[in-house]
Amino acid sequence: MKLGLACDGGPPPLQVLDLLERAGLPAGSLRFEAGPAIVDAGEVTWLLAPGADVLEACSRGALDGGVAGKDLLLELAPQVHELLDLRVCRDVLVYATPEPGAGVLGRGRPRVATRYPRVTRRHFAATGRQVELVAFDAAPLAPGLGIADGVVELRSRLVLDDGGAGAGRPAALRVREEIASCSARLVAGRAARALGGERLADLVGSMRASVEEI
Amino acid sequence: MIPEGMRDVLPPESGQLRAIETALCRRFEAYGYGEVRTPWLEYAETLETVEDDTLEAGYRLRDQQGHELMARTDMTVPVARLAAARFRDRPLPLRFFYVAPSIRPWAPQRSQDGEFEQAGAELLGLHSAAADAESVILLCDCLAALGLRDFRVALGTVAFYTALVDSLGLDDDREKFLEALADRDYPLLESIAGNAGVDQDALKVLWRTLELSGTRDGLSQVRKMASSDAMDDAIRRLVEVRDLIEDAGFEDAVTLDFGLYQDLTYYSGVIFEAYAPGVGLPIASGGRYDGLLQRFEWDIPGVGFAIALDRLHEALEKAGAVPAAAPTCIAFAGGLDEPARAMELRRAGWAVAALPDGAPPPPRPRLHRSGGSYVFEPAVGETVSGSWRDVLRALGIA
Repeated sequence: MKLGLACDGGPPPLQVLDLLERAGLPAGSLRFEAGPAIVDAGEVTWLLAPGADVLEACSRGALDGGVAGKDLLLELAPQVHELLDLRVCRDVLVYATPEPGAGVLGRGRPRVATRYPRVTRRHFAATGRQVELVAFDAAPLAPGLGIADGVVELRSRLVLDDGGAGAGRPAALRVREEIASCSARLVAGRAARALGGERLADLVGSMRASVEEI
Repeated sequence: MIPEGMRDVLPPESGQLRAIETALCRRFEAYGYGEVRTPWLEYAETLETVEDDTLEAGYRLRDQQGHELMARTDMTVPVARLAAARFRDRPLPLRFFYVAPSIRPWAPQRSQDGEFEQAGAELLGLHSAAADAESVILLCDCLAALGLRDFRVALGTVAFYTALVDSLGLDDDREKFLEALADRDYPLLESIAGNAGVDQDALKVLWRTLELSGTRDGLSQVRKMASSDAMDDAIRRLVEVRDLIEDAGFEDAVTLDFGLYQDLTYYSGVIFEAYAPGVGLPIASGGRYDGLLQRFEWDIPGVGFAIALDRLHEALEKAGAVPAAAPTCIAFAGGLDEPARAMELRRAGWAVAALPDGAPPPPRPRLHRSGGSYVFEPAVGETVSGSWRDVLRALGIA
């Protein structure tokens, strides 16, 4: 079986690996693997890669299934089936702006820095507002640079990385609106069920049991 | 430059596609289907009759009288329109096939070309499970005839879910729920059901059926869970269809999939999708559309499918089964000046591309005149030189 796990440079999230192991999948050795990589673990071949790549590989029929964040599913709207909410890596996509008095002008059409242009455009359009999108991977830094009035980002990422040890200090941003709750999802390409026979049903069954154990 | 989402098709792919189309047409004709060709422009009104967002979202333009026209967005609706307009006095059933492109506005996240070629077959006028089965059997036969071995056809039914969803009492969220079902976004299904306070037992039936597969055990489980006659009828129908497909010898190719649901509004009963290894999206899809012809004021049922030719081509490439595009072509330098000789080879079944005398050496196989004799090079390192008769002998002609 070929499975993809979303990860960002380092190993996949530990909570995801725990779930997989409890479901009887050989994920133990992945704790020490950094992506991107392809790891052969006997009955399962793992693809460790950025979430967008995992979704692309699933939708093109190269994988039996994968784990990726709901934030990317919302942003990319890939041709995959979303089979199970793993209820880990929970987070919220939010709209946040600098604290009042931080010297940012109020604008009729705010400039919003984000890695999620589609989600941002849809969120603001649905509430009848216009925004100017600023494509910026390190979105929380953008207001400080004076190139954005706000950001759309996962709540847990609203920190500034100082480059030192430690976790970084919070960006001086206040959450204004919650856009969507996110968590890790088990997904599969449209072809996986028809071509993979019982394998996918078994995987969903054991993962569901593993999730409900918690 | 051409518009985004459109593409040019070049040799040898164009020839391979033609060979695929020809093979498909032969299968369709072997089942008594007759080819129809319809214009790529229809009155917008015709395509709007179906009330489907995808099918209505075509390119629109106006003719000189101000009528609104639309580039067709699929072929099933034009075939239904044509049947209702031209075949009312004919005995049923009617069988039509087509090989034709349709056009839909392209967007980057859509994994389909803006203009996409389909080969499809429609069987009109029969309600029976046997008609559903014929449609699936014809699809399997088409794919098998092209040498595709490991394809699978997922077989499901829209009727089961419409009955089940009716029993959930969703009211306002019904459309959203069916959409999430079509996308197989199960967490979203769960949350819609949770918010609507859906009956827990009915929900349990839903989860179990979504995860069940087509084994005999699975089937009898679903039947036990069916809580209404409509659900029971839908399952019985599906089993009947599956058994007929097995009779035709395609038992290994078909799997039952109770989670299969399509949100094209015209589907009303059995639906199916074909998949092949290495291709992420369905290479064919189809189903029963009993309400469609009624929209054109002729109340007869129908069932049919369409094969996406570019995806089928990709599947055949992955399976190493792409049909040969054209016979090997001999490049004949000087052949333009000797049409009679070139014709002699062509009459014997060879393809000959005639070139001017002294043209730069083309790839082999090639032939040129050298003084009074001919030099034929079938492949690298092989040379036959001598008289014209020697060339003919080398080609197995004389």
